[in-house]
Amino acid sequence: MFFGFEQKDLEKGKQAFRTDATHDTEEVPVFTWGDESYDGLGDALQEGGDELNDETFGSVGLVGKDFDFSNTTLPKSSGLPNEQALPPQKFAEPASSDTLYALRRKQDFTTLDSDQPFSSSSQSAESIWDNRSLLSSLPQLDGIFNQSKQAFAEAPVSELPMPQTQKWAPQSSNSGIRTLEEIEAEMRAAAHQSRVQQRELSLQQQLQQEEDRRQQTLHEQELQRQILHQQEQQHQLYLQRLLQQREQQYQRSTPPRMLPASQSPRFLEQQRQLLLLQQQQRAQELQEQLMLEEMERQLLARAALQQQHRQSPIPPSHHRPPSLTPDVYGYQRRQTRSQSPMNNDHRYPGIPQESSPFPSPQNIQLQQRLLSEMAQAEFIRNIQNQDGQGINPVEQEALRAEAMRKILEAEKMEEKRRRKAAKIAYMSRYNDLMTQSDKDFITRIQVSQLVTQDPYADDFYAQVYGAILRSRMGLQSQDERVLIFGSGGGVGLGLNGPKGGGRRPSAMQRMEQQVERIVNNTRKREEEKGVHALQSLQGALGKTSGRSYKAAPRQLLQVDPASGASPAISQAQAFKDPGDRVSNGAEEAAKLGRATLGKAADTTNLIRREPLTQRETLTILEHLYDLVLHVEQLRRDHSLAQDEQQTVEWQQQYDTLVDEIWDSLRVMVPLETSDPHPFISLLIPGKGKRLLPRITRHLSDQKMMTLLTLLVACFSQLDVIKQASVIDYSQDTLERAEAERQTQAFLGNAFQCILPVVAKASLRLVTGLLGLLLDRSNIIMVAQTRPGLALLTLFLSRVELIKADMVNVPEEFEVPTPEEAQQWQLVYDHFFQLLGPHFPMLFPSARMATATDGQVSFDIIDQPAWHFFAALGLHAVPEQQHVLITALREKILDNVTSANKGWVRNDEERQLKLDNVNLLLHVLNLDSSLIVL
Amino acid sequence: MLIFSVFKTLTDQQVTVELKNDLSITGTLKSVDQFLNIRLDNIKVSDEARHPHMIAVKNCFIRGSVVRYVQLPADHVDTQLLEDATRRGDNSTKAIVLTLTIKNRNAETLKFHYG
Repeated sequence: MFFGFEQKDLEKGKQAFRTDATHDTEEVPVFTWGDESYDGLGDALQEGGDELNDETFGSVGLVGKDFDFSNTTLPKSSGLPNEQALPPQKFAEPASSDTLYALRRKQDFTTLDSDQPFSSSSQSAESIWDNRSLLSSLPQLDGIFNQSKQAFAEAPVSELPMPQTQKWAPQSSNSGIRTLEEIEAEMRAAAHQSRVQQRELSLQQQLQQEEDRRQQTLHEQELQRQILHQQEQQHQLYLQRLLQQREQQYQRSTPPRMLPASQSPRFLEQQRQLLLLQQQQRAQELQEQLMLEEMERQLLARAALQQQHRQSPIPPSHHRPPSLTPDVYGYQRRQTRSQSPMNNDHRYPGIPQESSPFPSPQNIQLQQRLLSEMAQAEFIRNIQNQDGQGINPVEQEALRAEAMRKILEAEKMEEKRRRKAAKIAYMSRYNDLMTQSDKDFITRIQVSQLVTQDPYADDFYAQVYGAILRSRMGLQSQDERVLIFGSGGGVGLGLNGPKGGGRRPSAMQRMEQQVERIVNNTRKREEEKGVHALQSLQGALGKTSGRSYKAAPRQLLQVDPASGASPAISQAQAFKDPGDRVSNGAEEAAKLGRATLGKAADTTNLIRREPLTQRETLTILEHLYDLVLHVEQLRRDHSLAQDEQQTVEWQQQYDTLVDEIWDSLRVMVPLETSDPHPFISLLIPGKGKRLLPRITRHLSDQKMMTLLTLLVACFSQLDVIKQASVIDYSQDTLERAEAERQTQAFLGNAFQCILPVVAKASLRLVTGLLGLLLDRSNIIMVAQTRPGLALLTLFLSRVELIKADMVNVPEEFEVPTPEEAQQWQLVYDHFFQLLGPHFPMLFPSARMATATDGQVSFDIIDQPAWHFFAALGLHAVPEQQHVLITALREKILDNVTSANKGWVRNDEERQLKLDNVNLLLHVLNLDSSLIVL
Repeated sequence: MLIFSVFKTLTDQQVTVELKNDLSITGTLKSVDQFLNIRLDNIKVSDEARHPHMIAVKNCFIRGSVVRYVQLPADHVDTQLLEDATRRGDNSTKAIVLTLTIKNRNAETLKFHYG
């Protein structure tokens, strides 16, 4: 743009500038009249009537400088006649390329001069090029115009009409009218070129920008002024219209003479003037305010900038000084509008926009955007600097997200913690509302409600359970589990006793006393209330009917055990009535007792009866349970008896109870009374089976013998024998499960209580029992049941033991007579003979195999059978042994083969098979290993 | 007093309390009083999907009158003794039918006529 100086060739420079100048038409007005390239269009213009220009455009002297874009045409120093500045608008300026060139240079140098002391000579010479800075030129405007007028008057061109001027202009350009100062300046510029070239470039740019801005500002201001004028006019119009309307309204609504003084036209005029005055005042005030706000805004912007430097996360685009509400912009606009007419004169002389206290809204926004962008850039730079090496945007974004997440998390945690604390605080309002004594008081009231006359009985379950548990655990601690009070009442403490073990005994005692007092008071009050109610209140509110007042629900089962109304119950009553039972039972018992011992069956004096019904059985059993519980309670209380007297009394009581139990068992009822025998009927329900061991504990040996005899005699009547075949079905049915359960109950309870009896039985008794069993039962059926097999095994084992004792310790033992032994052998032979053909069927597995094809593991369930055969084999003579082996040969071989050939699932099963076989073979002095297949 | 006595022996055992509102709560029995109010710890509702509001509840006090059933741990109940205990009941006019569901014992439901 500025290349004229390199070659110092002025012509070339001119040429270059000329071409350059054409490009800069936007910035500097270029007039081509009089030039060679002039197209002559100017001649075609109909020019004339300029005489009235002054009147049209206002006075000549005071014309604004808004047309003065380059600010170069203004003459600076006074007293320079050949100043080229021309008054605008009156004449077309005969600007040549030279002048333009010079102007541009001047411009450049002026800026240079203002920056640095260029040279004293240039200043002293008052060259037109020097001291051209804007600021220095401005205050001299008035003078300039005067001088320029003078200068213009002297210049020959000034008098010329326009066409002439066109002709003149080329001459002036060719002749190259230049002053000495001009040339000198050029030379100086050349001398300093190298030094300032860089500077110049930037300055040039700056200047151009400044020019641009100024033009823009001027343009804007012009526009604003126009708008303002329009608006002012509108405002005036509006006011007028308003006033007219009001006047019309008043004229319409009220007669004119009724108008108040304030509504008179003259008053309105005054008011309007006042209004205008006020407007002006307000405008001034607003202006001041705006200035203040502007300052504030700048300050805030700076503060915001600093804030942004400190990593402010707020998006910069939204950043705005808080005091500057959006309304301010509108306000500012209004303000500018209202004050601009007054300030026109001061403003127009090229005041730089930056220093203007009235920036346009666009500029504010622009400035803010710039600031925010700068702040953002700064922020990013800061982040990058902090991390030393540059972080790419992705990482940065991740970092920011992480930070945000952490902040959110922390906030959430804080919120949670606060909520929790608040809740705790809310709940803790009631802390320590009750003192310890309050709590104790309530505890005592609660405890007093639990006080009963018989704490042990009322806490029976817990007491006994605790005792059982302790005995099972081997603990012998007999510390009291019942809190007994002086008045006889007490509280069962349950399993664990008092919880507060750490409490002192004195505290415990105090509590006891207090509780007792409460209880006594309550009791007394209830008594009083009862007496009171009986005497005075009964029937006071009328007769209460029925039981509606009772809280308890109506009884659905209204069974009165005392009345024997129905015939079914009366029948049961016959058994139940104690008096009847005792009298009849005693005689029968005495009779049958002797008979049972002597003979298996006594059919004399027999009264046949229907067997006990289910209901009778259960009733009897419940009665028996009550008795047993009573007896057990007596046994437990036995330790309480201190002296002889009490012991005797206790013994009497006990004996009476045991006798009652014995009678209730109906063991002494004749054998043939019913089928099943009443005693057997009592053993049918599960709870009867479970009851038997608890009864037999209290029975004498004699009675137990009788019981055993009866049981053996009626063995086949037992449900576990009758329904044993159900168990042989391998299907899982409810029936089978029930039979299984009953069998278990029998073997586990009833059978266990006859074991000690048999274990003490003599050979004679055992022989008799086996004979009885053979006589009265279908031995084949009985032997095919688990209880039957167990009983037979028991007998055989007992005899074997007796035989062994005979050999080992004959002196200690009541040696059975040879007749007894012979009798046993007879019975045994008979038994063996009876059972012989059915030996294989004694194995449950064999029975089950025939019933079904189920392949269950039979070795465990066959074990009792193997035991039985072993016991049987012990008593067998060689011939019988042979029979036994022959009968069981297949079974034995089957077991041994499957064991040896590995047809088993595991070693355990194999061992079991061999063990089972060996049980029998060992008895016969054989072993499974001897069997050669 | 019988059931009260029974529950005394069951403290610190796992029980399931079925309420009349069909809520079934399993928890450690902490205490029982004479009204058979029950205090449970570490509770868990059997059907949590239906009772989400109970998930957060860790312990509770149950009024005795709202209990329908209590499932007792079979290992800690001596059935025989319980039968005896019921037989020992006083001969008051009240006839209370107590239904105890004892778990793991063949789903056996024992009904005791109390009194």
